[in-house]
Amino acid sequence: MQQLVDRIIAGGAFGNNAPRDVIYVLFIFIFSAVVFLGVAFPFAGIVSWAERRVWARIQSRVGPNRVGPQGFVQWLADGVKNCCKEDIIPTDADAPLFKMAPYLVMLAFVVPWAVMPFSQDLILADLNVGILFFTSVTALTVVGVLMAGWASNDKWSLIGGIRSAAQIVSYEIPAGLSIFPVILITGTLSMQGIIKAQGWSPNNWFMFSNPFCFVAANILFISALAEGNRTPFDLPEAESELVAGFATEYSGMRYLFFFMAEWGNLFLIGALITTLFLGGWQFPHVSENRIVMNVLQLITFNAKVLFIVFFSMWIRATLPRVRIDQLMSLCWKYFVPISFVDMIGTAIWVAIWPYGNPVAGYILLALGVFGLVLFTRRVIYYFRESKMELYLNPTI
Amino acid sequence: MTTLRTEEMTLNMGPQHPSTHGVLRFIVRADGEVMREAIPDVGYLHRSIEKIAEKVGYHGFMPYTDRVDYVCAMFTNQGWGMASEKLGHIEVPKRGEYCRVIAAEFNRLASHLLSVGTMAMDIGAITPFTHALREREMINDLIEELCGARLTFNYMRIGGVAFDLPPGWREKALAYLDHLEPILAEYDMLISFNKIYIERLANVGIITPEEAIDYNLVGPNLRACGIKWDIRKDIPYSVYPDFEFDVPVGNGQWGKLGDSMDRYMVRIHEMVQSVKILRQALKQIPAGPVLAKVPRNFKPPAGECQVRVESARGDMGWYAVSDGTGYPWRVHVRTGSFAAMGIVQKMSRGLMIADLVTIIASLDVIAPEIDR
Amino acid sequence: MGAASAYFQNIKDAVLSIFEGMAVTGSHFMRKPYTVQYPDRTETRVQDTLPFRYRGILEVDLEICTGCLACERACPIDCIVITAEKDPKTKLMTLSQFDIDIIKCMYCGLCSEPCPTGSIHHTTEFEGADYSTESMIRRFVKDPVLAYKPSKGPETNPQILPILNRGLNYLSEYQVSGEPKPGAKVEATES
Repeated sequence: MQQLVDRIIAGGAFGNNAPRDVIYVLFIFIFSAVVFLGVAFPFAGIVSWAERRVWARIQSRVGPNRVGPQGFVQWLADGVKNCCKEDIIPTDADAPLFKMAPYLVMLAFVVPWAVMPFSQDLILADLNVGILFFTSVTALTVVGVLMAGWASNDKWSLIGGIRSAAQIVSYEIPAGLSIFPVILITGTLSMQGIIKAQGWSPNNWFMFSNPFCFVAANILFISALAEGNRTPFDLPEAESELVAGFATEYSGMRYLFFFMAEWGNLFLIGALITTLFLGGWQFPHVSENRIVMNVLQLITFNAKVLFIVFFSMWIRATLPRVRIDQLMSLCWKYFVPISFVDMIGTAIWVAIWPYGNPVAGYILLALGVFGLVLFTRRVIYYFRESKMELYLNPTI
Repeated sequence: MTTLRTEEMTLNMGPQHPSTHGVLRFIVRADGEVMREAIPDVGYLHRSIEKIAEKVGYHGFMPYTDRVDYVCAMFTNQGWGMASEKLGHIEVPKRGEYCRVIAAEFNRLASHLLSVGTMAMDIGAITPFTHALREREMINDLIEELCGARLTFNYMRIGGVAFDLPPGWREKALAYLDHLEPILAEYDMLISFNKIYIERLANVGIITPEEAIDYNLVGPNLRACGIKWDIRKDIPYSVYPDFEFDVPVGNGQWGKLGDSMDRYMVRIHEMVQSVKILRQALKQIPAGPVLAKVPRNFKPPAGECQVRVESARGDMGWYAVSDGTGYPWRVHVRTGSFAAMGIVQKMSRGLMIADLVTIIASLDVIAPEIDR
Repeated sequence: MGAASAYFQNIKDAVLSIFEGMAVTGSHFMRKPYTVQYPDRTETRVQDTLPFRYRGILEVDLEICTGCLACERACPIDCIVITAEKDPKTKLMTLSQFDIDIIKCMYCGLCSEPCPTGSIHHTTEFEGADYSTESMIRRFVKDPVLAYKPSKGPETNPQILPILNRGLNYLSEYQVSGEPKPGAKVEATES
């Protein structure tokens, strides 16, 4: 972004004696508004609609399809409805903390969009510590959730808040440890740097570059789901036990903030996995035109992220919830040791083959494709067993 | 250095809650996540149904029995019908008995589908609930063709049943049974054998056989502890002796004997057995009348009687006292959910709050049955 | 090594069972949803797809009501109120009030069973929601009418015959000890 702004200033749009700092700040505001307000919030809203449609199809029913074409305006209607609700603050609740908690959670969701690498030029801030910035800002969720749980003056919210804080803090460790293999291979923390170190074809993605990275990708995905309070780890907001966990006492737009943060986090999870392990925006060099390449890369990045978002929705519809002590034992007894093994294994691998081993890429890709073929065969088997006819039309 | 002060939290899992099966209230004393005790507080759904029987008479009480347990209304109908017939010495024709058994077993299927579906939903999996309800909707469609209603059937009358099987219904019922069996297998693969589900259910809420008998548990709750007691086999009534079926009993293969997984699996196996009974009944049903001749103003001789029916929730006992007039002097229903509420308090010691929902769901508690 | 093998067995079980579960839900993407998009996106009106025995809102065909009050006596919730007076000279019943309160009605069907001609019957209508409780009391008698007196032989009045046949058809769904119901001697004739 900074190069773009420099070129605009050098092009003389602002005269010759323009104060650079003010122009930088102006452009920061404009671009941030475009990305945050124009992309992040609508995405959080639209994914709520998409999630309901995807779940409905899995559950043999139709999701929202009345409000607008195919129900597309449903999320706007929900948003407007929530804004029109009464703002209830419980009597003995700690009002400043109560009001601030949703904003903190929302910050933790919105700010990492500044380092989202949409394509080779479309990144709001190409920090050289991009990944570190990402993980540290998303950890603000803990503070917000704890504040929400405590300030609600409600024992159920407190239990939900404490569960959530314990869960997020514990799962930061396997998530962080799973990022290490990639950093060991590339040597840089910047998002664009990591993507540029990968290639466009799947055997050049980091996920298939060595078996330890393959496992690390899965561990990262599961830990990121746990951090985002998604099923199977959504005990803090378990609907059937604690009504809404830490967000029980919230109503109206404050309540919606928590859920927009959860839905928006889906994109962040997808972007994390895509950047680190799935090749990011890499697309074969088919054109010399920079704009065309950027558009193609943007589409590639979004396609990969949206696939992971869809996969998260699919997992949420399928799996039951893990109990809090089982969640903790899963983290500490299974994920942390495995991530350590991954880290050390990748370190040894990088020591032996500093420039990567292409053969390993092909072998792991073949294994991955084989697993996918097995899965598809199983899906077709269940479909045939049910003796129903094929109906692929999503717009019922 | 002062000692750390610890105290218990008293939480209220109030009458309005998304996951208690009906209007139930629990007062939970918890030490953080681990419960000390969960004290049930029942009575929010008391509607004096037993008292209403004294006003509306024998025939008129039949629709009220639907509301005692609306999920398995055929069994309550059958219980009241059998109690009145025993008081009045009326014999039900053979085809009427077969129709009763067919309707009752379909209702058992529907009730167990609902039970396993809501259990999965309480554990967190939202899809098996809708799949189970989809199958239940198909059973509801079948029963709608049979008797005209989908939930509160009022299908049985004193002396038999109200409607005969409509033409073409047998074929539809058999087709549905063929459709259901692979769906049950698919359901198992989706949720019953899922590792997370097994982890949530195994070794949670263990009831020993002695406790089960002490606390008066019945039905799948009792059979899951290893005790083979089913009214259909041990105190046979109606035409159940004509059919060949097994009584599934818990065996503790997923955890310990008598845990929640056993109760869940007993219900799944009972569904398979119900399908077996239904196939035999639909094949063997004889011709003839379905309703015995009972006078409009039914006045049984004075006396009392007690009948027991194996409903989806267990051994439902119907006790009726007649004083010679057209209105019963006293009616009492003994339901399985009432006893299950008693054991929740004992089971809940030492469990986590997340497990409380699990054990309530695994005991298949239906709130109107507790309070009537 | 029991603990280590249990450890890896746990991982394997988890991965395999989640794989199976995802395959089952994945197969659902290809199936048609079961939803009936009531009320405006169904092919036929839902009320027309319901079976004949469906116990919807009650309706009274006053042309064939004999004023026997069997339905009022049978109702367990007292939702039917009938006022019928027998004229001592002509021995004919006059109905001046026949109210059914459909809020109270519990759709049990006990009233339609003892009716001799099938004039009170359930329809397949179930949409009865309204804004006031007053509108939920269906008053079937506008002006006092004479009750129907079933004739000894087949019914001859061409206006009453189809209604009577429909009523008896409805009643024939109820089986009473295999014997024909009283009044069923009136069968459909060509006249």
